[in-house]
Amino acid sequence: MARFLRRSLRRKKGAVRFGNTELDEFEPNALRYKPDHIETLCKSTKFSKKEIQLMYRGFKQECPSGTVNEETFKYIYSRFFPQGDSNAYAHHIFNTFDTDHTGTINFEEFVTALSALSRGDIYDKLRWAFSLYDVNGDGYITKEEMLDVVGSVYMLVGRRASPTGEDTTTKQHVDRIFQRMDINGDGVVTLEEFVELCSNDETIAQSLNLLDTCF
Amino acid sequence: MASVAAWLPFARAAAIGWVPIANNPLPAPPIPKDKRRADDEKLVINVSGRRFETWRNTVEKYPDTLLGSNERDFFYDEDTKEYFFDRDPDIFRHILNYYRTGKLHYPKHECLTSYDEELSFFGIIPDVIGDCCYEDYRDRKRENAERLLDDKMSENGEGNLVKLTNLREKMWRAFENPHTSTAALVFYYVTGFFIAVSVLANVVETVECGNLPGKKEPLPCGERYEVVFFCLDTACVMIFTAEYLLRLFAAPDRCKFVRSVMSIIDVVAILPYYIGLGITDNDDVSGAFVTLRVFRVCRIFKFSRHSQGLRILGYTLKSCAKELGFLVFSLAMAIIIFATVMFYAEKKVKGSTFTSIPASFWYTIVTMTTLGYGDMVPSTAMGKLVGGVCSLSGVLVIALPVPVIVSNFSRIYHQSQRTDKRKAQKKARLARIKLAKASSGAAFASKKKASEARLAAQEAGLELDGHKEDDIFEMQHHHLLRCLEKTTNLYHNVENGHEEELREIQIGDLEKSTPTGQHRVHLNAPSGAPLPAEGRQNAGSLATISQLGGGEPSPPAADDNNVTGYMRISTL
Repeated sequence: MARFLRRSLRRKKGAVRFGNTELDEFEPNALRYKPDHIETLCKSTKFSKKEIQLMYRGFKQECPSGTVNEETFKYIYSRFFPQGDSNAYAHHIFNTFDTDHTGTINFEEFVTALSALSRGDIYDKLRWAFSLYDVNGDGYITKEEMLDVVGSVYMLVGRRASPTGEDTTTKQHVDRIFQRMDINGDGVVTLEEFVELCSNDETIAQSLNLLDTCF
Repeated sequence: MASVAAWLPFARAAAIGWVPIANNPLPAPPIPKDKRRADDEKLVINVSGRRFETWRNTVEKYPDTLLGSNERDFFYDEDTKEYFFDRDPDIFRHILNYYRTGKLHYPKHECLTSYDEELSFFGIIPDVIGDCCYEDYRDRKRENAERLLDDKMSENGEGNLVKLTNLREKMWRAFENPHTSTAALVFYYVTGFFIAVSVLANVVETVECGNLPGKKEPLPCGERYEVVFFCLDTACVMIFTAEYLLRLFAAPDRCKFVRSVMSIIDVVAILPYYIGLGITDNDDVSGAFVTLRVFRVCRIFKFSRHSQGLRILGYTLKSCAKELGFLVFSLAMAIIIFATVMFYAEKKVKGSTFTSIPASFWYTIVTMTTLGYGDMVPSTAMGKLVGGVCSLSGVLVIALPVPVIVSNFSRIYHQSQRTDKRKAQKKARLARIKLAKASSGAAFASKKKASEARLAAQEAGLELDGHKEDDIFEMQHHHLLRCLEKTTNLYHNVENGHEEELREIQIGDLEKSTPTGQHRVHLNAPSGAPLPAEGRQNAGSLATISQLGGGEPSPPAADDNNVTGYMRISTL
């Protein structure tokens, strides 16, 4: 009933179009996202209840509507990496987290991905890393995609170097890595090649466990 | 910084993406002590009896304020286990909301001075007031400041004026502010007197003065006492010319002065006299000469230097030019319409005064402004109808734009004041915020240094004597940044590229903290000879050294201590 009234009111307002209608029509914020019950989240992820509480409080503080959009991401990253330009990197991370490509990340996606990353096994982590580099999600990492992502990582550091110098360094870095990863030399890196290389490399396998954070 | 603390775990987890491309092995994470910061605890803040409770994390969002730093320990009450402040609880509510939401609001019903005091007590700069309330805050502050200034000025009188030695500057100040010295005041009144005399003479010389003995018609005074008036005119013009020349001499910017409105008025006021001197009694040009005398009335505008009201009026008209133009345009439209209709209505009448449409204009104007001279009157019924409608609509057309103009004037006036002030303040405000952030950037750099030292000690196996609890976030944040450095082989930061930012920050502040936070940017040297130490110090130019093979580990950080360079100010 309320919805019908609201719609009819909107139609009437629409009839009188004169001047600043944008200001007249203050549509209420359509979506307020509410996550699943905390028990469900506890069961589906590897976090404890207290940890999820803490995460949700921080999440909701930054995004009162319950969903994160890319702008907030970029802002958060700019706070963590104040010296550099974090926009491109934040964009890539956002796309990696936003698994259903809705343009927003809700708390479940957030917590699920985080659980895989910090409490998951090596395969989960590597798969996530693969999806980070695989920008278009087709299952193959091309050199351009890798260059894109690695370039954005370099931009995080933030230097005022000449652009040409930037490119050659990044390019060489990417060439080197790509060479190592592309085992069969077909110009793209698949998930299997990626996982195999990384799990066999001692330093990489070890480093993957360094980035856990205790709450 | 800590407002996004909850996102740090996420950022660190996402950093797994760096692992496959890392050039160097990533550093070990910081080892937190066994005493884990288990739960976030609640703080109880008692402000004059009203209890506020909040998470500790909330208040620690802004570590440079009283509540966010360890300064609050001074107010800790051991017996009741709460923080007690003997301050205003109503205003404290807003301050606590600042911590919670990041936006500081200014309540309109509070007194400005008490609010300011609370802000300064709790260590919050007023510049972080949100945009929604900042306007209001600034307006009130300005009013306050003006009031204080007025009070002070009425107390002191004109005590402290800058001593100007330059004659030119002294004269200019005397001209612009007559209250500064007695001579200026005398000059002011003398010129005012002569303006009045001159205008009066212009008026009186056209009055009929009675008959000369030999003539029939009465003469205007100007022709009867020609010599007297001429002498008077000459005297006045002498004074005005002298004044103009003196002003021209004293003006700091002569070109600007010559172009200003007042000087143009001065010139127009005295020019007819000189032109009149130059013209002989030639009949051809005497007509023009008479016309020139009209311009003598411009002398009355010289009064605007003496009267503030006139100046404001002039400014009003100038600023409302658009509205006035609209008024004139709408009037012109109405006049044309009614004149046309009137003309065609009265065309058939014999001996009608409405001979043409332009002739009808006069009737329309007189009717619309409700003057009604009666020199032109419609005779047909149609004409009378139109005339009636014309006079009714005249009232409307004239009455409508006038309040609009008045309110427009008031709005424009206040708005322009506010806009200019805001623009001027915005720059200053942003500069202040930048300064505050820069100092926090300096703190960040120093913390980074401290964390590196701690890590080095940790690796060397030394025992560390107790972290503070709130260091864990910092440690982990710095660990994340170090991982980034190792991944990309680029190290933070510093130097020559940022000198322009540094210029804005006081050198005094820099010198206080130069010893602690120095960092460098340098690319990894090729496997050949490493750059000499001095060369590395000058690597701010960021020479592009190509990177061969798997990079070498970076040179040790021991060189950092020798660099007495500048500190990098982070651009937040």
